[in-house]
Amino acid sequence: MNARETSRVTRLRAAGPGATAKARVKRYALLVCAFALGVIGLLAVVAPTPAQALTVSSTTARPNEDGGDHVIGGLPTRLTWEGRVEAGEELESITLTMPEGGTFEGSSTRVTVLDGLNRQDVAAVATPDGTTLAIVFDEPIPEDSLVRLEVTGVAFPNADGDYVIEGTYENQLGEQVLPSSPAISVIANTPVQGLVNWLDQQPWVEAWNSNPFLSMFFKPQILVSSFAALFPGWLVCLAIVLVAYPFAILFGLCFAFMKMSRFIVVRAIAVTYINILRGTPLFLQIYIAFFGLPMLGIQINVYILGCAVMAINSSAYLAEIFRAGIQSIPVGQYEAAASLGMGHMRTMISIILPQTVRRVLPTVTSDFITSYKDTSLLSSVGVMELMMYAKNMTAITGNITPYMTAAIFYLIVTLPLIKAITVVERRIARSESGQGPRPKGGELTEEDLQLDLAQDALAQAAHAEADEPAALEPAYLPLAREGA
Amino acid sequence: MARRRHAQPHFDVPPALPADEAASLAYEHDKDLSTHAFKEGEHPLVRIEHLNKTFDDNQVLKDVNLNVWREEIVVVLGPSGSGKSTMLRCINMLETPTAGHILIEDDEITGTTKANLNEHRKRIGMVFQNFNLFPHLSAKENVMVGQTKVLKRSKAEAEAEAVKQLTAVGLADRMDFMPSQLSGGQQQRVAIARAVAMHPDVILFDEPTSALDPELVRGVLDVMRDLALNSGMTMIVVTHEMGFARDVADRVVFMEGGVVVEEGTPEQVFDHPQNERTRAFLGNITD
Amino acid sequence: MKWFATEEAGVKKPSHLLLTLLCSLLAVCCVAVLAGCGGQTAEPAADETATEEPASDVVDIETVSDGKLIVQSDLAYAPMESVPEGKTAEDAEGFEVDLVQAIADKLGLTVEWQQVQFDTIIPAVKQGGTVDLGASSFTITDERLEEIDFSEPYMDSNQAIVMQKSAASSIPGFDVSQDVAGTERLDAVKAALDVEGTKVAVQSGTTGEAWSQENLTKAETVPLADVIQCLTGLQSGLYNAVIADYPVMAYYCQESYTDLEVVAAIPTGEQYGIVVSKDNPGLKQAIDKALAELEEDGTIAQLQEKWFGQAS
Repeated sequence: MNARETSRVTRLRAAGPGATAKARVKRYALLVCAFALGVIGLLAVVAPTPAQALTVSSTTARPNEDGGDHVIGGLPTRLTWEGRVEAGEELESITLTMPEGGTFEGSSTRVTVLDGLNRQDVAAVATPDGTTLAIVFDEPIPEDSLVRLEVTGVAFPNADGDYVIEGTYENQLGEQVLPSSPAISVIANTPVQGLVNWLDQQPWVEAWNSNPFLSMFFKPQILVSSFAALFPGWLVCLAIVLVAYPFAILFGLCFAFMKMSRFIVVRAIAVTYINILRGTPLFLQIYIAFFGLPMLGIQINVYILGCAVMAINSSAYLAEIFRAGIQSIPVGQYEAAASLGMGHMRTMISIILPQTVRRVLPTVTSDFITSYKDTSLLSSVGVMELMMYAKNMTAITGNITPYMTAAIFYLIVTLPLIKAITVVERRIARSESGQGPRPKGGELTEEDLQLDLAQDALAQAAHAEADEPAALEPAYLPLAREGA
Repeated sequence: MARRRHAQPHFDVPPALPADEAASLAYEHDKDLSTHAFKEGEHPLVRIEHLNKTFDDNQVLKDVNLNVWREEIVVVLGPSGSGKSTMLRCINMLETPTAGHILIEDDEITGTTKANLNEHRKRIGMVFQNFNLFPHLSAKENVMVGQTKVLKRSKAEAEAEAVKQLTAVGLADRMDFMPSQLSGGQQQRVAIARAVAMHPDVILFDEPTSALDPELVRGVLDVMRDLALNSGMTMIVVTHEMGFARDVADRVVFMEGGVVVEEGTPEQVFDHPQNERTRAFLGNITD
Repeated sequence: MKWFATEEAGVKKPSHLLLTLLCSLLAVCCVAVLAGCGGQTAEPAADETATEEPASDVVDIETVSDGKLIVQSDLAYAPMESVPEGKTAEDAEGFEVDLVQAIADKLGLTVEWQQVQFDTIIPAVKQGGTVDLGASSFTITDERLEEIDFSEPYMDSNQAIVMQKSAASSIPGFDVSQDVAGTERLDAVKAALDVEGTKVAVQSGTTGEAWSQENLTKAETVPLADVIQCLTGLQSGLYNAVIADYPVMAYYCQESYTDLEVVAAIPTGEQYGIVVSKDNPGLKQAIDKALAELEEDGTIAQLQEKWFGQAS
């Protein structure tokens, strides 16, 4: 009765793909009812004859979404089924049944029998046949053993739903109904996975992958799936550095001013801060922050802590960049501001800092790029960023392609920035060469000169109109230059 | 920026004179030395009394005394190293005098607080040898920044003033240019407009044409001349331009070795120099 | 600021940039492919001439470097394999280190240990050319068998869940007097861990990681480079539990991390094997033969006695 009940449920489940949300709600209601019935039924069956029931202790499926944690229907996954042989039983064979639409076809099965933690030497033959998998043991499995089946290469039905594995088994008394397994959540195929499957069938992909180097570093299928899978990691990287950097700039500016302070104590604090942070590897700082702080009882969200470490580390470098930038502004700028009656703060805000920003922007951008890349170090302490995703995917697929994808994700940000730096540097070089006192006779092109003289003539004409014309005429050529 | 500390030599200078007494003494002293028509009983705009300045062991100003009257054009001449630029920079305290007094309209600015100093500096314009325009601001913004940030004028008001002053220096069509896009002469004219737009009581010119190519000097001098003749601005000009001094100055001051050697009307100094060193300096140049 | 606005001109053409990037990538590939092809055609040709002569019953062992087995391992998995404090990979020690040495002795080869990240070992062996074996307590799984070959199993193992002693005692239904391998304990710990907000540290690419992902679906599985990182993080409170191989966890909890304990064993009955490239069946055969002999003559039992204090 129990088996019939649940198999109806699974069939309904399998009808999934085109179903509306309403129908889905209905189905969930049905599922719940059916489960309740199933559990009652199970209890009814089990209770009177406890000696003759194999218990299913756990059934799980390995996530087969590349870089994700879902089990996708229609694609190969690994089913792990565990059952315990109850007292008085001797298990001879098991037949597992997949819900309609799923398949055991082409799977391989690893059978492990354990007594406690000790592995028993048991041989078994597994025969997959469509939706069923028959496992026959060479010798009966004694009571209290744990039977563990790892079936690699099975596929669940290609539709959303919670599926249960059921089936039959044989003990010394003959065939028995196997209790249903706990439900396994399966999602329908994703577009990305669809594209991967399509790629799987392309001859050019096969040709490409036949080259060991190309298939190891640039396997098209993994390239596609890793782009989708690594994307959240990339967002985390960007988020960390974008949150951290404004703080880094703020702290950097503070420490830059502190280092230029008149007071030796303030200077000493800034110098210590800057030197310690610049003098130790970021990796070490991350370790101290992530392992040290919790030991002191300070629990901080890892993402916030990651941002904090990145900000603090960068601030030390930025402090030096800003200090050098501020000190590179010629003293004449301070004097010009002072001659207009500007106070120190006003001079800094209106005159010095805007010029400093121009000058340090290329260096700051370089530092930004470094910081962005250095977020990868956070993967070592379990922050789920780009490298972490890439590493996990490489671990699962045994392929280097996810790292290549990560490289592309880094380059998407860094290449335009590097280009921007070059442009900015060229611009600054050009504008600075036209600044300040001109060396006599140098720099000025013929064209500039013509322009200038024309300007001067214009100005003179304008004055001449306003003034008495005669008064302007006397030539006062510079005597000093005439003599020279 | 920290300069090595040297034992500062000590100067005994008397306190600044009371205003009325100083005014009458100054009038007596200056009345025949300037073509500017100042009246008895008027107070000088700038008073420099017993000004001394040392850099490390080197005394560059030795007990300099000078009065500048409202609307007077004073040109300071002298060989390089004579201390004339230092004197000028002491007037708005870009250099701190070692001893002595600087008074603007009888307010002593030596030894005041920083806030007070900035109040005084608003009233003293300055034009630098190297222009010192703000490279991140356009010509117009250079002229506006002091007005809006220091004088707290409205943006519209400051802009109108900037347009007016830039037009006056002949840069009406260069308002939105960045300093790097302007020639040296144009930059210096922007710097003059920047100083004038603050409506100061006095403008200090620190060798405004020395860094310019010879061809560009005239345009700048024209602007200064226009300012001197038509605006009624008080000007103290440190320069090597003898022609300008002779034409425009009410009074010429000749400095050498940190002291005022000779002062008088351009006619007195150029045509009848009393002092041997003045004669030598002018002779060297005009020959 | 005017100056910022004008910058955009330089960054405006991302399509152009991307094109350049793709072109250069392609160029790199081509070069690499050419180099790869060249290498491949050259190698077998040299082998043919070399291998034709010797007698066929002596198994011809090809290694990356003549007379030497280059073995990669993470060497952070005591007592299986580890590097003693202040030493380098050369001085690696442990059950598997001794075992590989014994195998190498049988084959007349010397051993060079390379310390690398666990999850890079299988790709490296598969890729070939730099390393002969992976020996880092690899569980034999069918997925891994698709990529590489394993030697015959040399040891059985299980998984363990490690927690802070203080945290373990507060698990509802947890009773220290119960058998560590019992279902009651495992169920209690599983129920306590499989909730939102729980963090379980595992070594990336291990069977422990897979178990956590499959069985603790509500908890966050955090994959790290090695188990030392996992245990340090657990100790400092960064994670709620660590899942890794039972013998190793039991060793660490007893020797170094005394404030941690194995709260439950997960019976998986998995078996360790040595990773060999599918392209080198001769080496696999030789190792299997050596392993059988070592089993026969009691060497493996001796080593188990030495490193685990018991023969299994």
